Amino acid sequence: MNFPVSSQDDAGQALQKYSEWDGSTYYGRAQLKSAPFENLVVGGYIFLAGLSGSAAILAALADLAGGKSAASLVRRGRYLGLLAPVIGSALLVYDLHTPKRFYNMLRVAKSTSPMSIGTWILVSFSASVGLSAAAQAASDFWPQQRWSGWTARVFGVPAAIAGMGMSTYTASLLAATSTPLWAAAPQALAVRFGASSMAAAASALSLGEPSDGIRPKLDAITGVALATEAVAAMVLHEAYGKMGVRDALDSPSGRLEKAGATQLGVVLPLGLLAVSALAGRHRRGGLSGLAALAVLAGSAMLRVSVMGAGDVSAERPDVSFRFTQPRNMPRR
Amino acid sequence: MNFHPRTLEHTQSDLDHVIPNESELTAGTLIEPGKSYGFFTDTTVCIGCKACEVACKEWNNLPADNLGMTGQSFDNTGALSANTWRHVAFVEKKGGCGVRADIETPYQSGWLMMSDVCKHCHNAPCLEACPTGALFKTEFDTVVVQQDICNGCGYCVPACPFGVVDLSANDGKAHKCTLCYDRLKGGLEPACAKSCPTDSIQFGELEILQARAQERVEHLHQRGVTDAYLYGTPGAPGSTGGLGHLNAFFLLTDRPEVYNLPVAPTRPANRVKPSLISGLAAVAGLALAATIVLASQERR
Repeated sequence: MNFPVSSQDDAGQALQKYSEWDGSTYYGRAQLKSAPFENLVVGGYIFLAGLSGSAAILAALADLAGGKSAASLVRRGRYLGLLAPVIGSALLVYDLHTPKRFYNMLRVAKSTSPMSIGTWILVSFSASVGLSAAAQAASDFWPQQRWSGWTARVFGVPAAIAGMGMSTYTASLLAATSTPLWAAAPQALAVRFGASSMAAAASALSLGEPSDGIRPKLDAITGVALATEAVAAMVLHEAYGKMGVRDALDSPSGRLEKAGATQLGVVLPLGLLAVSALAGRHRRGGLSGLAALAVLAGSAMLRVSVMGAGDVSAERPDVSFRFTQPRNMPRR
Repeated sequence: MNFHPRTLEHTQSDLDHVIPNESELTAGTLIEPGKSYGFFTDTTVCIGCKACEVACKEWNNLPADNLGMTGQSFDNTGALSANTWRHVAFVEKKGGCGVRADIETPYQSGWLMMSDVCKHCHNAPCLEACPTGALFKTEFDTVVVQQDICNGCGYCVPACPFGVVDLSANDGKAHKCTLCYDRLKGGLEPACAKSCPTDSIQFGELEILQARAQERVEHLHQRGVTDAYLYGTPGAPGSTGGLGHLNAFFLLTDRPEVYNLPVAPTRPANRVKPSLISGLAAVAGLALAATIVLASQERR
C-alpha cells in the first residue's frame, strides 16, 4: 500500500489503483461532525419555506392565468406566503447558538454558501410577499379602492420569483456540506424538495378552496408535483446505493423517510387523487381533503427525516469512509 | 547540534521581553504577512507524548474536556472539538485474531501515533460555508474564526470534510485551531510545533515544508519504509475533489482511514450550482404545468 504523489487531476484515478479500503475505522469513532441543527426546528423551517415559496408562485400564476374564479386562491396564496417570513425566520433565529447576532447574516453575500444565498432569498421573499399580502389585506378590508389590488399583483411577481428559490434552495443548503447522505445526490435532492414544496402548497390551498372548478385543478397540480417527487425519490435512492450511503437510512429517520415521506406523503395521496379523479365530481371533496392532509404531513416528514438520516450518515464512519472513496470523486 | 547564531544573543532564561522574530530561532523561519504557512506532521517520529495537546490548551486557554477514559488505547482525548485543537490518535495495529502484531518492521509499524489538527484547507469548506464572514483567510494563508462575528449558526460544522470545526456549548460559537494567529503576529512559532520534542510537528513556509516532506518520504523509502506517503500535499490523498492543498499536511504509513482521515474528500461548494440549477429547473417546470392547468377551461 503506497500512495503515489501525482498531479491533482488524476489523484482519484491514481488512488483507485491501490489497495481497497478494508472497512477499518478509528475505533468506530465518527470521522465527521453532524450538523448542530435542531432537526424539528430547521426541518420545520425547510417545510414552511417550501410551502410559502410555492404558495406565492401559485398565487401569482393564478392571478395572471386563473381568471375571476381564482380570486380566493390568489388571496389565500398570498397570505400563505407569510408563513416563512413570520414563523420560518423566527425558527431560524431560534436555531442560532448566538441568536442576538442574527443580523450578522446580513454582513456578506457569498455564492459559495447556500446559507448566505438563502438569507438573501428569504429577505427578498419576505419583503415582496409581505407587501403583496399587505396590499391584499387592504383590498379585503376596503374593496372599493383600486390601488391595493394592483399593488398586490405587482409585488406578487418578485414574490413568485423569490418563491422559486424558497422552494428548493434548502436542498442546496444540505447538499453543500460534507454530510454524506446530503451530499450524495445534490440534483435529485433539489428536485425532490422542490416538487414536495409545490405539492404541499397546492394541497394546502386546495383544503380551503371554495370553488368546485378550481379544486380539481389544484388536485391536478398536486398530482403532477407528487409524480415528479416520486421519480426524484427513486433517483435519489439509486444514488444513495451507488455512493454507499444507504446504510444511514437503516435508522429511525430512515424509516420515517420511507413510511412518512414516501408512503404517506407521496404514494397514498397519489392513489387517493387517482380514485377521486375517477370518481368524478361527486364525493370528490373528502378524498381530495384527505390527500391534501397526507401531502402536508409527508412534506414536513421528508425534511425532518432527511435531516436526521444525514446526521446518522455523518456519525457513522463506515458510511462516511465509503462515501469518500476515490470512486465517488466527481468526474471532470 | 546546530542552532541559529542569534540564539547566543539570548542566553538568559528569565527574559522580560519576547525575542524578536523568535520563530527564526525555534523553527528556522521568519514569519511575514503574505506568505503561506502551515504544519508538516511527520507521524513516523511521533511518540504520542501529547505535549502538543497540552501546549495548545495552555496557550489558547481552552477548557478541559473528556476527563474520563475511553478505553481506546492511550487516546483519552477522542477527537478534535471546540475545546481540543490538537488531538493525538493512537493506533495499535492488530496481527491475527485481534492480537497485536508481534513482528515489528521499522518505524512504528505496529504502533501508529498521529497528532491531528485543523488542515487549514486551501479552498476551506468551513470558510466557504460561513454566512457571516466570521471565518476568513489570514495574511498567513491560514483559516480563522472571528469570535466577535460568529453567530453560532453551525453551518461550518457539517461543511468540514475532516470533522474539525465544532460549536462550543459554553459560548455558542464555532471554534477550531487558529494556527496560533496571535503568536504568528508576534513572530512566534505555533505552540504545538514549538513544544513537539521530536519535531514530528514542523511549522514553516508551506513550499519549504512540502519539499522537506517529499525528501523525508524518499529517505524513508530508501530505508525500507515503503508504506510512507504524504497526505494533503497537492495531488495526494486528502487534497482531492477541489479542496486544493492542505496547509497542515501529514506523512502517514497506513491507509488514511486508519488515522480517521478520508482518502478522497470533496469540496462542498462545488455542489451549490448543480443543486440550485436542477431545483430551480424542476420548480420552473412545475410552475409551467400549473399555468397550463390553471388556464385550462373548467370542466363542467
